[in-house]
Amino acid sequence: MKRLLVPGCVLLFTASLAAQTATHRSYDTAFLGPPMADPVLQHAKETFVLFGCGYCHGVNLVSRGEATDLMHSALVGSDENGNRIGPLLRAGIPQTAKLSPMPQFSDLSDKQIAAIVTWIHYARRKGRFQELTAASVQSGDAAAGKTYFDRACSSCHAIDRDLAGIGNKYDAAALRAAVLDPKGLKVELSFTVDRIKDTKITTAQQRHHALLENYSVDDVANLVAYLASSR
Amino acid sequence: MFGVRKESTDSLTRRDFGKAMLGGVSVFALRSAIAGAQAPKPNRSFINGVQFGLQPFCYHDLAMTRENRGELIQRLVRNGMGMVELHATWVEPRFNEPGVSVAAARDRLREWRLTPPPGYYLGVRKELDSAGISVFTYYVNFDDSYTDAEFDAVFRGAQILGAHGCVGSFGLELSRRLVPFPGRHGMFIGLHNHDNLSDPDAYSSEASMVKGLSMSPDFKMMLDVRHFTAADGDCVGFLERHHERMAGMHVGDRRKHNGRSAPFGEGDAPIIELLRMVRDNRWPIVALLEFEHGTLRPEVEEVDLMFDYCKRAVA
Repeated sequence: MKRLLVPGCVLLFTASLAAQTATHRSYDTAFLGPPMADPVLQHAKETFVLFGCGYCHGVNLVSRGEATDLMHSALVGSDENGNRIGPLLRAGIPQTAKLSPMPQFSDLSDKQIAAIVTWIHYARRKGRFQELTAASVQSGDAAAGKTYFDRACSSCHAIDRDLAGIGNKYDAAALRAAVLDPKGLKVELSFTVDRIKDTKITTAQQRHHALLENYSVDDVANLVAYLASSR
Repeated sequence: MFGVRKESTDSLTRRDFGKAMLGGVSVFALRSAIAGAQAPKPNRSFINGVQFGLQPFCYHDLAMTRENRGELIQRLVRNGMGMVELHATWVEPRFNEPGVSVAAARDRLREWRLTPPPGYYLGVRKELDSAGISVFTYYVNFDDSYTDAEFDAVFRGAQILGAHGCVGSFGLELSRRLVPFPGRHGMFIGLHNHDNLSDPDAYSSEASMVKGLSMSPDFKMMLDVRHFTAADGDCVGFLERHHERMAGMHVGDRRKHNGRSAPFGEGDAPIIELLRMVRDNRWPIVALLEFEHGTLRPEVEEVDLMFDYCKRAVA
């Protein structure tokens, strides 16, 4: 009995210590949401919040008050890896009669700026995805979809090659889901030395992410109409 | 205690009397309630000669609505605060609803302010009183859309809440319009600065604030230390030169040159020096904590940490 009692006590003590540690972690789950599984994204989110961005722009980019709506900002939509957001963060925006100032963040490291940019783009994609999927599936203009496809997609895809007959395989709802969130790109970042395959996926992910951040409801409907015409 | 409020129960107007009677509250009770606000009360956030309070904007996760006022009061108590700068949105109803235009919502708010439900402000006052919290200032977004009657109505409501003054983020031009109002109610107007040096109408530089203060003896400075630091202002020099015209300070930290907000002690604001000047000179200047820096902690805990920093400064 004693043999069982001692390890049992140790286990109980350890469990109680773990519980205490958990309760001592001061993380405002109610405001920030539960910690994310992806440590890179969690770090990005924490950086965004810690430097005060979330109080004006919203933790998930649901703008609070008069701050710029980053979910729909054209500047954010055209940003590539912080090339537009980074300089703006460092310089700040002076107040005008109609615009509140944004402080300058000149003392942040490049990594901190990159983390903020990462969160802005991630949260924007999440938000835009929700907006676009909440819209009812509408019939689009296949010709306009072709124009969009030629401009934005044709460097990687063609409907007479990798996407041949895609209109036979999927209905409009499934096509829309594939346009907004391609399954083949749901791959976690790899930190193995040999990352050739990952580089390809990362490039594809970046391109699709950029599209998702800028699609309008009409763009998606037109693209779906064009893809559905490939039979 | 603060030497900023001259108003007495004599300032009750005929309108107050009528409202009190309509609401079934005797004017005597109303007078007693207002007079009670004048009596000095032990205040839990009066520490070593400095009266602290909170601008509850710090609870960033809590929408500033009257529905959340109960939670606000609980948090203030948990943070050991006995004084608050109460934003009007914690008190007034909101009329911005789906299907209601901005202009219509604004008209309905004005109408509500001119004819609030009888005893409404007294009810709010009782909630705060019973938690041991006094309202130092009432923060209102005064702008050009206000009518003169509305200005008066806001001051009347603030007065019943126990506020010593009304504060807002307006500029020099609107200040001129506001000159006649605070004196009528025995209160002050708190001028609140930001860091916008490019707008000639804004309170941001020392010169702009001196210009505003010169408009009326009823104008007092509610110096925002964070914004003045970001505007490269000299907070210590300002306090030294203008302490007699200061009602309070918004105490927080930012970095210079329109820099970002930072936890207390990590920016360029001379918080310790300012608090010690108030303490050592026994100036009746209220220190209202207000911050905008980010945190992963629950906001109540963050307020505790910032308040601890201030307590150590005046220990």
